[in-house]
Parts: sequence; C-alpha cells; structure tokens
Amino acid sequence: MSGQKKEFPITWGMVIDIDKCTGCGACMASCQTENNVEPQREASNKLRATSWMLVYELTNDKAFPNHDIAYLPRPCQQCGNPPCVSVCPVIATDKNENGGIVSQVYPRCIGCRYCVAACPYHVRYFGWYDPIWPEGMDKTLSPMTSVRPRGVVEKCTFCHHRWTQAKDAARVAGKDPENLDDGAYVTSCVQNCPSGALAFGDIKNPKHKVHELVKSPYAFRLLERLGTETQVYYISRREWVRKLGDNYLKSE
Amino acid sequence: MGLDRRAFLGLVAGGTVGAMFTPIPWKLIDDASIWTQNWPWIPRVPKGQVDYVATTSKLCPAGEGLKIMRVAGNPILAGGNASHPLSCGGVSALARSEVYMLYSPARIKSPMKRNGKTFAPITWEQALVEMAEKLGAAKGAVASISGDNTGTINEVLTALTAKLGSAGSFMMPSEATTAAKAMKLMGVQGQAGYDFENADMVLVLGADIFETWGTSSRNRKAFGANRPAGAKPANTYVYVGPTRNNTAAVCDQWVPAAAADLGVVALGIAWHLLKAGATSNAPGFDTFKAVVNGGFGPEDVKRATGIAPETLATIAKALASAKAPLVVTGSPFGQGLGAAPVIAGMSLNMLLGRINKPGGVSMLPELPSVVPGALTRAAMLDGDLPAFLKGVESGKTPAPKALLIYDANPAYGLPEAATMAKALEKIPFKVSFSSFMDETAALCDLVLPNSLPLERYDDVATPYGSGFCVYSLVRPIQKPICDTKTTGDVLLGLARKLSIDLKFDNFQQVIKEKVASLTKVSGGFVAKDVMPWQVAAGKPAPALVGGDLWKALEAGYAWTMVGQAAQPAMGFAAEVLAKAVKAGKPATATVLAPYAQLRTGTPVTGMPCQDLTMVPDTELKGDTTFIRVNSETAKALSLKKGQSVKLSGAGVDCQAKVHIFESVMPGMVAAPLGFGHTAFDYYSQGKGANYLSLAAVAEEPGSGLSMWIAPEVKIA
Ligand code: SF4
Ligand code: SF4
Repeated sequence: MSGQKKEFPITWGMVIDIDKCTGCGACMASCQTENNVEPQREASNKLRATSWMLVYELTNDKAFPNHDIAYLPRPCQQCGNPPCVSVCPVIATDKNENGGIVSQVYPRCIGCRYCVAACPYHVRYFGWYDPIWPEGMDKTLSPMTSVRPRGVVEKCTFCHHRWTQAKDAARVAGKDPENLDDGAYVTSCVQNCPSGALAFGDIKNPKHKVHELVKSPYAFRLLERLGTETQVYYISRREWVRKLGDNYLKSE
Repeated sequence: MGLDRRAFLGLVAGGTVGAMFTPIPWKLIDDASIWTQNWPWIPRVPKGQVDYVATTSKLCPAGEGLKIMRVAGNPILAGGNASHPLSCGGVSALARSEVYMLYSPARIKSPMKRNGKTFAPITWEQALVEMAEKLGAAKGAVASISGDNTGTINEVLTALTAKLGSAGSFMMPSEATTAAKAMKLMGVQGQAGYDFENADMVLVLGADIFETWGTSSRNRKAFGANRPAGAKPANTYVYVGPTRNNTAAVCDQWVPAAAADLGVVALGIAWHLLKAGATSNAPGFDTFKAVVNGGFGPEDVKRATGIAPETLATIAKALASAKAPLVVTGSPFGQGLGAAPVIAGMSLNMLLGRINKPGGVSMLPELPSVVPGALTRAAMLDGDLPAFLKGVESGKTPAPKALLIYDANPAYGLPEAATMAKALEKIPFKVSFSSFMDETAALCDLVLPNSLPLERYDDVATPYGSGFCVYSLVRPIQKPICDTKTTGDVLLGLARKLSIDLKFDNFQQVIKEKVASLTKVSGGFVAKDVMPWQVAAGKPAPALVGGDLWKALEAGYAWTMVGQAAQPAMGFAAEVLAKAVKAGKPATATVLAPYAQLRTGTPVTGMPCQDLTMVPDTELKGDTTFIRVNSETAKALSLKKGQSVKLSGAGVDCQAKVHIFESVMPGMVAAPLGFGHTAFDYYSQGKGANYLSLAAVAEEPGSGLSMWIAPEVKIA
C-alpha cells in the first residue's frame, strides 16, 4: 500500500468485543436512525441496502457439534492510511482533521464510486434511489446529519456530529474541548449496544479506556496486512475469530 | 430541474481535458454539484432546540428506560437511559423504534367500524355508544385478552370485564405464564426474579435470555459487566438448547439439547448434585429424590438426549463449586414451554440453596393494585388462552359473546393459528385496541386505536425475569398524531356509560394512584446512586422520599425493591415432574426449533420499519424466509442449500428455503419467528412465513398447561 499513515494528536477509535456481541442488530438500528438512513422496504437485497454499521456472522466452518459462530459489527474502519481517500477525484472524502475520522462531503461527491471499489471493508454505500420515508416519518429525522440525495456515496462518520456536540458541551462546562473526558463523545451504536460490546475513545489518551484495550493480546484489526492502519480494533479470546480478521493462507 | 447529475457529468466529460490546468472548471464542477443536489423532494431535517426527556419503552418487552431526544419539542431518537436499571444505557432495536413507529404506515388513524369486508371511520362518541350497546347485550359472557404483561391497564381491563360478567380474562402466553404456573405448582407466590448481576455461574436451560427472555437488555448488561473485554470473564454462562442462538453465541459453552428435553437435562444434573450429597428440607424432597434416582441417571439422560454423562457431571460440579450459581429455564422462542421444565430448573436452584440469595432467585411480590375488582397479575397469568380458544373452537367451551383485545394479536401470535382463527370467528363481537392494523384488528368489529407509548400515560411494573421489583413510568411527550386515545381512558369512559364504577375518571389518575401506593411499600427506593443488585448484595437500600416519587419517575428513574415476599417454603412439585418429564427415546420425527428476535418486532408491532435492514439474507430474501438445518439433517432429509420446501404441521403449510447452518442440532429445523404477516404495512406484509402457525398445542401431563415446545413438522 502506498501512502503513509496520517497521525493526529487525537485518534478516535472503536474497540469491539466480539465475545460479547450477540448479533442482535441494535447497533445497526441505532446507527440508521441517528444518521437518517431511510427505512428500506427491500432491505433483503443486500447489494442495494445501506447499512453504515453492518453485523457480519462469522463461522469457524466446522460441522456440528464443533461449529462455532461469532458476530462482527463493522463500521467504517477510519483507516489511518485510507485507500478510499487517495482514489477520490474531487476530494469528497479526506482524512485531514484531528481525530482521524475520514470525512465524506456529500455535496462534493460526484458519485463515481471509486471509493466504493477501493474500500477493502465494503463500508461505503452508493445511493441508487432517492431516500423515501413513510408519510410523516421525516418529522423524526435527526437535525445532526443531512439527508443524502441519490447519486452520492455515504458511510459511517463515527457520528462526527456527536464530537462537535461534546466539544460544545465541554466549552459550556469550562472544560478543554480538545481533551474530552472518557465517554464524553461516543457514537450512537456504542451508546446503545445492550451488551456493552463496543467501546469508544481517544486511543492516544491514556485516560481513555480504549488506550489500554487496543494493547490487549487478544486485540486485532481487520486485514492488517494491507497496511490500512485502521482505527477500529476487535477483541476476541477465540483464536479462530482473530485468524479470520486477515486473509491467511491455509499453510500459515 | 432540466439537467440531472448523469447528463451533467456527460457534458463536462466531453469538453474539459484542455482546461485541466485552470481552477475555473473545478470551481464550476464544485458549484454545479452543489446545485444538482439542491433537490426539493429530499426531506429537510427539522430545526429547533434540542432537549432530552425520559420515559420507558413499552413496545419492547424488556422494559428499558429511554432518553428521548427532541427537536423543538418533537421526539427524534430513542436512546438507552444509563440511570435506568433495565437499560443501563442499552436499548434493543425494538425499543429504538418507539419514535419512528409513531409514523408507521401500519398505524390505525382513527376509530373504525367493520363494514362488510372493510372498515369505515367513526367518531369516538359513536364508538363508545356502539361498544356500550354491544357489551351491555353481551353481559355475562365478555372475555378479554391482554398482551401487556406489565401495565396497570390490566387492572382497568379485568375490573371492567368482571363487572360486565367475565367469561375469562387472559394474558397472551409467554415465559411469564409458564413460570407463574410452575411457581403455583411449587406452592409459592410471586414472580420468579433472577439476580444475574450477582451470579457467577449461570446455567441457562433453553431461555434466550439475551434476546427474548424477560429483561433481556438488563440481562446482557449484567452479563457484560463481569466480562471485561479481552480479560478472563468473572462469570460463566452455559446454554442448553437446540440451536446456538444469540444467547448461546456468547456463552462459554453450548450444550445441544432438544427443547423437549430441557426438563430431562435439569433432572440429569440434579442426579449428579444428589449423588454429591445435595439435600433439602423443602416439601417433596424425598419424592423428588426418588423420581430423579429412578429415571434420570447419566445413562438414561444420554439415551434420551444424546448428552454425554461427563458433560452433565462437569456442569453439576461447576454449579456446586460456584459461589453464586443460578439456573434459569425458559423457551428458546419465548413461549410454549410446559411448567415441568421450569420446576425442574428451579429444583436445581433449591438443591444449590439459591432461593432468596444474592445471585439467586427471589419470588418477587406483586405491587399493590389500585382498581377495585381487578384481577391480580397472578390470577391473569393463571388463565390458559390457547386451551380456552381451543375449547371455543371445538365447542367444549361456550364462546364468549364479546371479546376485548388489548395489546395482543392472537390471530398471529398464537400457535395452531388455524384453530385459533376459527375460535375467534365464533365470537360475535370483537373489539381491538391495537395501535397498528394487525391480523387480529383486521378480524374485529370495532378497532379503537390506542395512542402509542410516547403519546400516553402508561407504566411498566416488574417485567418477567427482573431480579427485583421495578416500576417505571411511561408518559406522553407528544400529542397523539392520529385520532387515537389512551385505551385506559376509553375503558373508563365506557364504564361510565354503562354506569359501572371503577373509581377513576381517567387513566392518568390510575397511574398516579399506583405511584402513590408504591410509597407505602416498605423497602422500596428510587434507583439512582444505588442499584437494586447492589442492595441485593448487601448494600443498604436508600430511604424513599415519598413526595418526590412522581418527579423521580418522570425524570426517568425507576422505583425498585429487593427481596422476596414472605411465604411458605417452595416445594419440589415432584409429582408433576414424575408425570411430565420422561427420559424417553429421542424423537425420530423432524422437530421445529423456532427462534425469535426482538428486531423482527412482536406480534403487536409487526416488523419495525428500520429493522428489515438488520435481517440477514440467510433469514429473509425477497419474500421468502429460510429455515436452518445442519448438513447432517440436510443429508438425511435430502435437502439442498437454497432449495424451496414446504413445511406442514397443525394443518397448516408454510413455504421456506433451506439454509445450511451447522449450529442446529441434528433432526431439528430452526425457523425464525416474526415473519409472514398478512396485515400491518409493506415492511411486514408478505415477508416470509409465520412458522408458529405450524405448532400444534398439546396438554402437559401433570400440570394441564398448554404447551407447544417441540412441534413436529413434515418437510416436502
Ligand atoms: S448492538 Fe451490540 S450486541 Fe447487538 S449486534 Fe451490535 S455490537 Fe453486537
Ligand atoms: S474503511 Fe473503507 S471507507 Fe473507511 S476509511 Fe477505510 S477505506 Fe475508507
């Protein structure tokens, strides 16, 4: 992978404890409503459905009774060295802000979908249709996220608006907005997961829980060998789960 | 707009190459792309001041406290309430839907009266007159069904039904009905409460405790709290059941066992505990011992269930050596279990000395009732709705002349759907108070829509499974969007019209009185700085400041109380076990193993609009749902991946496609519930099949309870 990892003083990161995830989908529900993703009638067509957060089912591929499963929630990995950014012809997506969240500027996006193809984690969604809410349901749209027309690409933003809100709240409370307390800014999925499987914070801040969590011997990142240096970490005590995090050859 | 994005891009691509080096085209592209996105038909987001108010989820049976984000006073998002003991910050996908379901296309917009095959809108006054007249004429033969396990509305409903001459007031069958029957047979009062927070070893027999069983969000928080990410867990969870479901997926061990064998497994473990010297003073212990030793030795259990003797011996040992072991029993799909397996599971708690202990089981007392003449929750749970409706269908039980249906969808949510539909047909006057056009409302004569939880006063009192008594408030934070009313108010208005005195004029008064009654319950407190499980573990309970309770509840805190009702010792009910639990030969037929998930809603909500996205395409694709079998079963039944099949049972056929999934026991066909609606809206209707309709109802020997835990099906 060409390019270099971008470093920022703050590095927002998510740590997902796979061993606690039941696969319930509450994180997806949280995400969709937080970020004004329309309710999709034909959502069983996964090639067309939009889900910034998507829960994958992993299996160890063994037959009964040695079969095992795990669930892997997948937001945008906010790569330190994002392949999506370098391919965008109009800089509609960039990694240029403290915190390291990869931006997505809808009015700038020309819908060429290079980034969709470039993202190794399939987190990017193209709007094939204009979004439609059942009559009246648009009254429940969140003011924090704009509604996207058809023809642009969208993806998880680590609920970036919540960071802005947390900084504002810190300023009002006379605290340093650049040094938020642990938990002052978390994404919607992290907040609502009933299992407490998701953690969020500044990986570089020793006062934040995730700072330690990412150092766990059980922590891994997806497709680490690509050198994308993602800001999303996974934790599992099961070796087969950790192995699935990368494309290993049978002999490895 | 004359030029769309595609045409515009084509235009630009035609003539730009030469101009690449000047910034002007780039600037133009940027401006134009903004302009092409200025599309008036894309909804605008609302603007206004943001604030947060608290309430409690009523759509989700887990009863989570909610924080609702509002903009300019309008609800926008439902999030978990970190200070509520049944949420601790978490919300299920279903509780999350409380806000947007206000605008569900399936909402019933006004009162309606049947007019041949369709409905015609009527006014509330006309509805009351009509209902008063019909119910007056039906006096002495009025029945009611409630699907709300936790609300004080049941007091109004049952008191009114009683005054009209009750033909029966029923609760929809659930884990709570089964457990209530079991506790009654064991000679105790109150609702079994499970203290997951303080348990260090939990044996889960069947119950999908992290998805559909009881206070599932709270159960999960309790599970997770003692399992720091990446570190050695401080608790152990073992799941016994037919599939590696959402609960088993995170447990330390899955022991495959048929749902029909849960009682056998429990008694098989009891055998090991007894052998190791476990004893009890509880009534019936000697008979219990004789039953267990007489038929549930390791080899008996192995023959019946296929479980290796060492497996159960190890579990028994782990339970006996744990500091705070806990056994919880339930149905893998939230209903249909007999009482005996619950008794068998509870007997393990008794052998382990776990009754009324921290991290154990307590018999939680019922909260005081406030409406005169109302049935207690225990009395309501004692009814057997499937048995009643089967009786009506066959003519053994006289059909009621009128039926009031609250928060329930029996035409969809009961087993043996064909029989139940015939029974409902025999009842000449039916009223549904559903908020959504569900399958039952579609059969009724009058449909009087209840306001949704965010539009009404309501309450949640100790959902089944909670380890402590808990009461939280549901309050209106939005004016009714449609022409709906709080059913409590409608019923009280109806009572007035019929000159029946139920003591209250409106439902808010009922709730206020309920809250006032809590201040008199000794030991109650508001969970704020101290949580009920901390009190269970020995921390002193804070005092309750009476006058502030309503305010505290409005602010989203819950009233709680720890400990069990004073009562006689729990007995083993060994005679029931002797009749109902048999370590027989394994079933040779193909057995349905249904599973339910909150993301597909409840029979009352249908599929929440946002949740279709959460359903994997191995569960629903297009309009077809998938059944799951392992490769061994697939081979035995000659099934191929993706093959279309027909399932038959209880006189009903259902379509399905085959998904090969190895975490299903051999001989079992796992099938998702919550699909196959014929009513509601385009998010629910026609999506897959309702596999619950394949389940035939049988009577459990020893208890007489209706059960449908392991329905046989044919696959073609
Ligand atoms: S909400 Fe939590 S438990 Fe449920 S799927 Fe998402 S991460 Fe997993
Ligand atoms: S996960 Fe995909 S979209 Fe997100 S930063 Fe990495 S490459 Fe870009």
